[in-house]
Amino acid sequence: MFSPWISSLQLILIALFWRGIFTVSLTAGTVPLLDSNVPQTLSRSAVITGDSLVEKVEILTPIDLQLSCTCNANPNKLPNVTGFWRKDGIEIDNSRLTVLLEKEQYNLKREFSIDGDNLGNYSCVFYVGDKESRIDFYLTAPEMEGKQDKPVIAYVGDSVTMACKIKHLPNAWIWYKANGTQQELINATTDPLHYKMVVDGNATKLTLKNLKELDSGVYICSAVYNIKASVKQMEVRVISFMEPLKPFIAIVAEVILLVTLILFFERWGSKKSDDLPAENMIPVDQLDKLTQDDNNGMGESNARQRNV
Amino acid sequence: MPPSASTNLGYTPPDGGWGWPVVFGAFVSIGFSYAFPKSLTIYFKEIQKYFTVSYSEIAWVSSIMLAAMYAGGPVSSILVNRYGSRPVVIIGGLMVGVAMIAASFGTTIMHLYLLVGVIGGFGLSFNLQPSLTIIGKYFQVKRPMANGLAMAGSPVFLFTLAPLNQFLFDHFGWRGAFMILGAIVMNCCVAGALMRPVDIKKAPKDPDTATDRATTGTEGSTEGIGSLEAGGLLGDTEPQQRKGGFADKCLDLSLFKHRGFIIYLVGNVVMFFGFFAPVVFLAPYAKGIGIDNYQAAFLLSIFALVDMFARPGTGLIANTRWIRPRIQYFFSFSVAYNGVCHLLCPFLADYMGYAGLVIYAVFFGVAFGMVCALLFEVLMDLVGAQRFSSAVGLVTIIECGPVLLGPPIAGFLVDVFHDYKYMYWACGVMMLSPGIFLFIMNYFNYKRLDQEEREKQSGASGMVTLSSVEETGAVEERKEEEIFDKSGE
Repeated sequence: MFSPWISSLQLILIALFWRGIFTVSLTAGTVPLLDSNVPQTLSRSAVITGDSLVEKVEILTPIDLQLSCTCNANPNKLPNVTGFWRKDGIEIDNSRLTVLLEKEQYNLKREFSIDGDNLGNYSCVFYVGDKESRIDFYLTAPEMEGKQDKPVIAYVGDSVTMACKIKHLPNAWIWYKANGTQQELINATTDPLHYKMVVDGNATKLTLKNLKELDSGVYICSAVYNIKASVKQMEVRVISFMEPLKPFIAIVAEVILLVTLILFFERWGSKKSDDLPAENMIPVDQLDKLTQDDNNGMGESNARQRNV
Repeated sequence: MPPSASTNLGYTPPDGGWGWPVVFGAFVSIGFSYAFPKSLTIYFKEIQKYFTVSYSEIAWVSSIMLAAMYAGGPVSSILVNRYGSRPVVIIGGLMVGVAMIAASFGTTIMHLYLLVGVIGGFGLSFNLQPSLTIIGKYFQVKRPMANGLAMAGSPVFLFTLAPLNQFLFDHFGWRGAFMILGAIVMNCCVAGALMRPVDIKKAPKDPDTATDRATTGTEGSTEGIGSLEAGGLLGDTEPQQRKGGFADKCLDLSLFKHRGFIIYLVGNVVMFFGFFAPVVFLAPYAKGIGIDNYQAAFLLSIFALVDMFARPGTGLIANTRWIRPRIQYFFSFSVAYNGVCHLLCPFLADYMGYAGLVIYAVFFGVAFGMVCALLFEVLMDLVGAQRFSSAVGLVTIIECGPVLLGPPIAGFLVDVFHDYKYMYWACGVMMLSPGIFLFIMNYFNYKRLDQEEREKQSGASGMVTLSSVEETGAVEERKEEEIFDKSGE
């Protein structure tokens, strides 16, 4: 997000209209907090010494935003350079200007009226000679914390809880269930046996109770701001208890099999050495083999005792 | 070579043959015992959300399990003394298995505390002690090697259980995973089935049984003759002992008068305060100095991998004829080496950043593996295979305190100083001082043992008093073997 080769970044906040007083002291790397409903003008300024810089700005409410960029003059201080603005990679019409050198810097400013429809990637571009230097401003609605890329597994008859958390306090939290391309609103008050929704400032939890297989699917939590709603998708998979049962039975069967085999092998092995002395019906010529196997064999495998 | 306390078994251990499958069984058992509680932490976040509890409440499951595992030591020892290793391990495996399966149906966090924590922990203690004991029954000459191989189970199982648990969680959620884990842990029963009692009839008789009884006497354990697990050297007193006091009959408390045992205990209790904390805090330390999550986790993988090979390697080295006679010194050295590693860690981290921590992870892995491989081997060497069962039970319950208190105290140090390096220095001192203590005390102990051996061999009067013992002993010998058979080992 913040290029390591940028040595300094200064942020200037100019509020032309505001209700109440708020001062924000910002250091490099923080995102401005705009929580008044009255349109404000915010100025972001960046100094580039390298080729490009990325700046993330989270916007909560429609605002007139002034973006200003400053480019340090490189060794060959040209008296004027070309500067223009891009939105999402496409040059904005009528934005090309000739920028004059002021105190060894080139300055470029422009005001944008930002609302829910024109969020995106705004860039100011300087053409110094034939080299391009630019600063990218990513203007977005606040992003949710955490990512849920793997589905949550839950069981039929059981319950599952999904949580969403965001940095800035939203106007409202809304939960949806995705149904194909449609989104169904989840109303916890009309269906208390099935859903339970808890809102706690900038966090919310939805609990699905008495799960059934058709509760599987994608659930969307939405944090509503003046400018736009910020969403997060979570997938829930409801499975029956039979599914883990199959590997379970397989492993238990393997355990029982191995234990039986080992004990049987041991019993068979010891029986082999025990049987020989107890066996009285042995031919005389095998007597020698017997005596070698077991010392006890001597006493019992006597030819006289054969007819027992 | 000092008089080895382990030859008072009454037979010469096979040192091979069925001993190697037994080592494999011990490998599996020990692996589950140590790795299982640590690997369960993967499920905590989800269970925490499910039962709406705080992280410290869910962490209690792990703590209770570990505490039960250590507290179950003496109980385990008593059962092994009475019934032998095999039934205890099989029952232990069944206990953990059933506990996990029942826990998969749990509806409150209390269920998890009781089932996974208490019953699961006890079941694991029934796996740990008997596995260590049976190695002493099967091996004498190659025992350090066997111990090293068996103890290698812990890092190997941790290495495999961690990704396996993640896989089970992704596919079956925590409930299904608990159920399947219950089945997997029942493989301890397979390990137990392998732990065949040593066949006394088949094992060649120990030629020096008479002198060994004398050795038992000079080892300082004058009550050794009366204790049951010595197999009842005097057959006629043995039935009387069965009706004797609980403690004397089942657990050899005379060990507290054993010089070597006390040295070992004191050294170990101090050592365990600083033993596990550096492992627990390695990843947070790395993240604290600016290393990202994956690289910090990778440090632990390096550590576990090095540990895996260090344990059998240490066993191999300890088995050589240069080290084996003075194995206590080797153990003291490895404890002290741990301490030195921790003391140097902050310097490595400050001057070399991530590379420094990687070097530390490698050296610490070797150190940790060395201590773990030798931990029980030196205890066997000190007290002998006969009394090892009781010894390990007593040691685990006494070590329970430092093992459980170590990481929280270390965490407290980190909170107070807001820097990990003081904690590492504290751990370094906690390991270096017992290392030096053990070294010095064992030097004196070896000297005394050599002295006693010389006295015994030169003393002609000693043989006269023992001849009567020898006569009654010879008659009772066959009875002894039968007792051995019944008790299992």
